[in-house]
Amino acid sequence: MKQENKQTISGRDFEKYFQVKNLKKALEIKAKYEDQILLIAGATDVLVENYEKLHEIKNWLDLSRVKELKFLEVKEDKLILGPLMTHYELKNSQRLKQKLPLLAKAAAAVGSPQIRAKGTIGGNICTSSPAGDTLSALLALDASFKLQSKIDSRLVKAEDFFLAPKRNGLKDNELLTQIEIPLYPEESLSFWAKIGRRKALVISTLNLALVLYFEQGLIKRAGVAVGSAAPTPIRLREVEELMLGKSLAELNYRELGEEVKKRVSPIDDIRGTKEYRENVVRDTMVNALKSIEKRREGGKNAD
Amino acid sequence: MKKKGRGLATIMFGFGYGEGFPDHSIASIEIKADQRIVIKTAAADVGQGVITTVIQIAAEILRIKPDYFEVIQGDTHTTKNSGSTSATRQTYFTGNAVKKAAEDLLANLYHYGSMEFRSNHPEISIKDGEIYLYEEPEYSISYWDLAAKLKDKGITLEAEGSFFPVTYQPDEKGQADKVYVAYTFLSQVIEVEVDTDTGIIDLLNVYTAVDLGKAINPKNVEGQIEGGTVQGLGMAVMEEQVIRNGRTLNAGMSDYLVPTSVDIPKFKHYLIEDQDSEGPFGAKGVGEPTIIAAAPALANAVYDAIGIRFYDLPLNPSKVKKALEEQDNKN
Repeated sequence: MKQENKQTISGRDFEKYFQVKNLKKALEIKAKYEDQILLIAGATDVLVENYEKLHEIKNWLDLSRVKELKFLEVKEDKLILGPLMTHYELKNSQRLKQKLPLLAKAAAAVGSPQIRAKGTIGGNICTSSPAGDTLSALLALDASFKLQSKIDSRLVKAEDFFLAPKRNGLKDNELLTQIEIPLYPEESLSFWAKIGRRKALVISTLNLALVLYFEQGLIKRAGVAVGSAAPTPIRLREVEELMLGKSLAELNYRELGEEVKKRVSPIDDIRGTKEYRENVVRDTMVNALKSIEKRREGGKNAD
Repeated sequence: MKKKGRGLATIMFGFGYGEGFPDHSIASIEIKADQRIVIKTAAADVGQGVITTVIQIAAEILRIKPDYFEVIQGDTHTTKNSGSTSATRQTYFTGNAVKKAAEDLLANLYHYGSMEFRSNHPEISIKDGEIYLYEEPEYSISYWDLAAKLKDKGITLEAEGSFFPVTYQPDEKGQADKVYVAYTFLSQVIEVEVDTDTGIIDLLNVYTAVDLGKAINPKNVEGQIEGGTVQGLGMAVMEEQVIRNGRTLNAGMSDYLVPTSVDIPKFKHYLIEDQDSEGPFGAKGVGEPTIIAAAPALANAVYDAIGIRFYDLPLNPSKVKKALEEQDNKN
């Protein structure tokens, strides 16, 4: 049987396709077209989202050739990333693994080798899926996003950026141009887990990021964030505060697990039930604390 | 916490259409002067390897390397009925038809060979594509030269074979002398690790013992075992069509999940070659039997690990975690 081609023929697919080489030009185009243009970098989300309706998109802004948006820099008190860094590059970066192993682990869990090779962290952030694998890690690590327009720029905290499923605080004339993650002087240990229905090529049923910063055995700072358990990836400040100033031995892991469970609002969907996510987020939090305890005792930094 | 468990399941599988259905296969083989041996069969190779199997069988009977063979498949102008590639039947049915055609052709090689040497057929031998006088091996003729000579006389060097075994429809009590041509037996032990925090079942090892009569191509058999088992395990732990109000919610490969290469267990195979009296070289079918034991063996392994019996598939993380919570609350 002959398969009907549902795609509109080439040439009528779109009106404009801009493949810009520098940020200045990209910002000019964004200022002109505002919400009437679709951004792509790795295109791993966009092409799937628009499968069989690509011809409906009028204007494209392809950022993949903007070299100045692809970098990783370690400064004294922070690590800064260009949004075009791919998950593959993050997963394999020795500097990232050393400074922020949590984010390297999250990047390693995205999709498959092919998706990691094309997909970018900027894309993961701007798609703003509640299940985005790197987002809980960025939240727990207290990341900020630099949002830039043709005329000015602003720095927005990750926890203020995500507004609703696939909706964020980017204005129509803005682009995400930099990701900043603070590097604190204290010794830190982190945990990241992705719970899915299989080991690769799967959307998170749940993910959890935990980072603890220790000073003389006491928790000086903490980051707790979960993905796929609420309309957006969420940072749980109140749970973090319950841990501050205490040693690991003073923490009641099960209670902290319950505290996390209380603060998520998952739904039933094809990847798992509400009940499943609530119970698993509790047990995964306990697991995260145990894992950190074990490594602290062993004196190892690697997970 | 991670808990390990081990489970066993054993199955038997009657293959072929069976139950009195007129199940058969017809094949033919021709030796051509241009150094080709052409097998004609309608058996469809859908990846299971029936083409390799029939070439091996014909090459064995015809005493020549498999390199010379080509197969014309599934062309209604040139091939006769071989039945469908289903019911785990092609190795047994088409394998037998090809074997019979090859045996007939071998007899013809002796016949025309003895005419060529003006000798009796016990005085000639056949080996590596050559027909020669037993006592004086320097007198020989290749299959190709013989085919060319016969062609000049208007004779084609070819033969046809068919396999048409009888089966019977079972009576009201399900009994008959022979419902299926033969049965394949398979036992599988599966080892798993259940994560009680997440309800996720990690597949560790699968040990498979299969009585397949004879492994015509052991590598192909291993492929069948691994492929079938992975499909069975997919059914056991993740594959599920979710329907709400008449609509399938997961009609795509991103939601309807099947195992990936990193999800599957390690395999170990034991091929039991207890030859079947009617199968080609004693071989029996091995396709579908490889899928059946996986789910029950897995469910037994999960029971061994966490002490919970499940009665519906798949054992997805939500279902396993829910059962674990209920078990926790009871204790």
